[in-house]
Amino acid sequence: MVNSNADSAMGILFPNSYDSLVPELVSERLMASIPFASRYRLVDFMLSSMVNCGIDNISLIVKRNYHSLMDHLGAGREWDLTRKNGGLNIIPPYAQKSVNVYNGRVEAIASILDYLKRQKEKYVIMADTNIAVNFDFSAFLQKHIDSGADITIADTREEVPKALLDIDVTKKDLYYTLDIGDDDKVKRIVVNEKEKGEQNVSMNIYVMERQMLMDQIREAYVNGLIYFERDIVSPQINRLDVRAYQHTGYFARILDIKSYFEENMKLLKEENVSALFSPGTIYTKIRDDNPTRYAAGSHVRNVMAADGCVIEGEVENSILFRGVKIGKGAKVRNCVLMQDTVIETGATVEHTITDKNVTISAYKELKGTESFPVYVEKRKTV
Amino acid sequence: MAKEMIAMLLAGGQGSRLYTLTQKLAKPAVPFGGKYRIIDFPLSNCVNSGIDTVGILTQYQPLVLNEYIGNGQPWDLDRLHGGVHVLPPYQQASGSDWYKGTANAIYQNINFIERYDPKYVIILSGDQICKQDYSDFLKFHKEKGAEFSVAVMEVPWDEASRFGLMVTDDNDKITEFQEKPKEPKSNLASMGIYIFNWDILKKYLIEDENDPDSENDFGKNVIPSLLRDGRQMYAYRFDGYWKDVGTISSLWEANMEVLDPENSGINIFDDNWRIYSRNSGMTGHIIGEDATLENSMITDGCSVEGSVKHSILFAGVKVEKGAEIEDAVIMGGSTIKTGAKVKHCIVAENVVIEKDAEVGAMPEGDEKGVATVGSGVVVGEGAFIGPKAMVSEDVKGGDKVW
Repeated sequence: MVNSNADSAMGILFPNSYDSLVPELVSERLMASIPFASRYRLVDFMLSSMVNCGIDNISLIVKRNYHSLMDHLGAGREWDLTRKNGGLNIIPPYAQKSVNVYNGRVEAIASILDYLKRQKEKYVIMADTNIAVNFDFSAFLQKHIDSGADITIADTREEVPKALLDIDVTKKDLYYTLDIGDDDKVKRIVVNEKEKGEQNVSMNIYVMERQMLMDQIREAYVNGLIYFERDIVSPQINRLDVRAYQHTGYFARILDIKSYFEENMKLLKEENVSALFSPGTIYTKIRDDNPTRYAAGSHVRNVMAADGCVIEGEVENSILFRGVKIGKGAKVRNCVLMQDTVIETGATVEHTITDKNVTISAYKELKGTESFPVYVEKRKTV
Repeated sequence: MAKEMIAMLLAGGQGSRLYTLTQKLAKPAVPFGGKYRIIDFPLSNCVNSGIDTVGILTQYQPLVLNEYIGNGQPWDLDRLHGGVHVLPPYQQASGSDWYKGTANAIYQNINFIERYDPKYVIILSGDQICKQDYSDFLKFHKEKGAEFSVAVMEVPWDEASRFGLMVTDDNDKITEFQEKPKEPKSNLASMGIYIFNWDILKKYLIEDENDPDSENDFGKNVIPSLLRDGRQMYAYRFDGYWKDVGTISSLWEANMEVLDPENSGINIFDDNWRIYSRNSGMTGHIIGEDATLENSMITDGCSVEGSVKHSILFAGVKVEKGAEIEDAVIMGGSTIKTGAKVKHCIVAENVVIEKDAEVGAMPEGDEKGVATVGSGVVVGEGAFIGPKAMVSEDVKGGDKVW
């Protein structure tokens, strides 16, 4: 039972955030359910990180294309979120006369104000799902409490990724950089910074008191405001005590198909795998595949593979998801092959991302380049 | 609500012929086939056959098994009514007693069975690797109007005298039972899997318990009593893969057969008859730059930099650069360091084989031992474990064990 006086937090995730950056991958899903790292979906990382830090009341406010996410999460058992109090809570848009799909975070949270009011946790942590990270929410929350801040924002110190610099503002996906002063106080929030050099790039992870969030959202909603960062935090930056928390550990930010490819490939290095998958275990849906079988005559080097694969051909520098089959004489190099991809006998595939259930027919050749990987849609046969 | 059939799984055996592998865990909990334990097979068979209530009878080293079974969720056996229950012997008003024999174990749990008011009870054994559809067996039982049926396998005539044999008429009706006879009259060996009508089973369990001379064993006591009374007893022929993995060499052999599903008949890659298990939750496995792999099975959490030939690696096994593994079964969490040679052997869980150590050897001529390293053992740098050796304590660097 949650004690409302304790320093406990509930979580809210926004699984559709930044969907527009990876249109190929989200044609039948959303950001949160994009397969990543051979046997996971992006949502597994934020969800598991929260669970590992004792957060067991997590809501996901979904907007569209969320069937795959619901299938993946089920009742939340694999994340230990099948709870009587709290647990996993998926909130789809509410259909009245017409389905009212929200635009920004203000409307999204406004739609669950009644629900928020009934919760017991003192704090709310909000996050997107386009970052695969083993995030220390306990340290984040503790710093927030110790500093006495109204809002704490997590950030990373890095150059603004190129994919963000090229962002199409008409698609409304904004990113934020922080101007940080003494005592980690945020002096200014810059929307879509173009300046070169290292910046404090926001991870869009926030913590604040639940009551304050509700008050702020109610006020903003009445005034027709849309974005939490741009319209609530930024204009009040001098009135509210907003602080930054720097995440210095490993993370993989998915911003376009190229970064998706690269972030997968980075996991061929064992130090990156141990950085991403520790200290906390990352949980995911169990599929009960048999172990992966490497047949006589297979040739494999520098590969990360999940269970359920059958490898008879050659594979090099690739990430194989669950149930991938690679036929005799097939050559696979520098590829990301999602669940149940079949590469038939003698086919050659290089620098390619295949979505789920793709088949590359026998003796076909498919080659992308390092800077421009080929992407094959779900269920297509090449 | 009554159940048509529930399963009682005998998992109390010590498995003493597996020696060091069963020092700390019951035989049904012994790891098998890369990511399973032996008990996953009968449990998955139950679920795939539509049986949703299973009692697991344990008494030897039950800790690992209890934790592994948990609430039964990995097998879909976490049910509101029924599901999986671990049943150790317990104290009753009349006193408490260990399970004296297979029949006594069921006898002590008559109350458990009565809670579900089943028409039939299937008795299973927790030490066999077998994919079997029990619903087909039940159909046979009902069609024959049987009160008792036993699943049997045809075995070669020259080996028949090692088994309990069912002699049958043309209609599969059992006319005689021979326990390990010198002169076999049949080659139908009992697999130790029985279906009883519950009323009959209960009657005979009570009678057997009241007989002070009985060893309370199905094969030795209950089946002969049924025969003596002329009950409707039938033999159900099973011709799929079946292996009793009660010895080190049969356990090793069955693992190797998993690597050759086309010829061995044990196909765990069958989507229509999945074997479920509790998952390790580790990340995908990693095959490094210099690794060579041939005809092997590898699962989550492994990292392979060396050479792995015709072997099975369980979750979280590390094979360092320059290590050689062949014809080996390496259980979860073990590490094989640089230059070590690990061949024709079983390495249990969380073992460390240090640099340049040698474990086992490929068979030469008639020498066909399966070297065995017990769980948690550290085999020191440059140590040698002979092809017939069995190690359950740490081996110092440079030492030789034959």
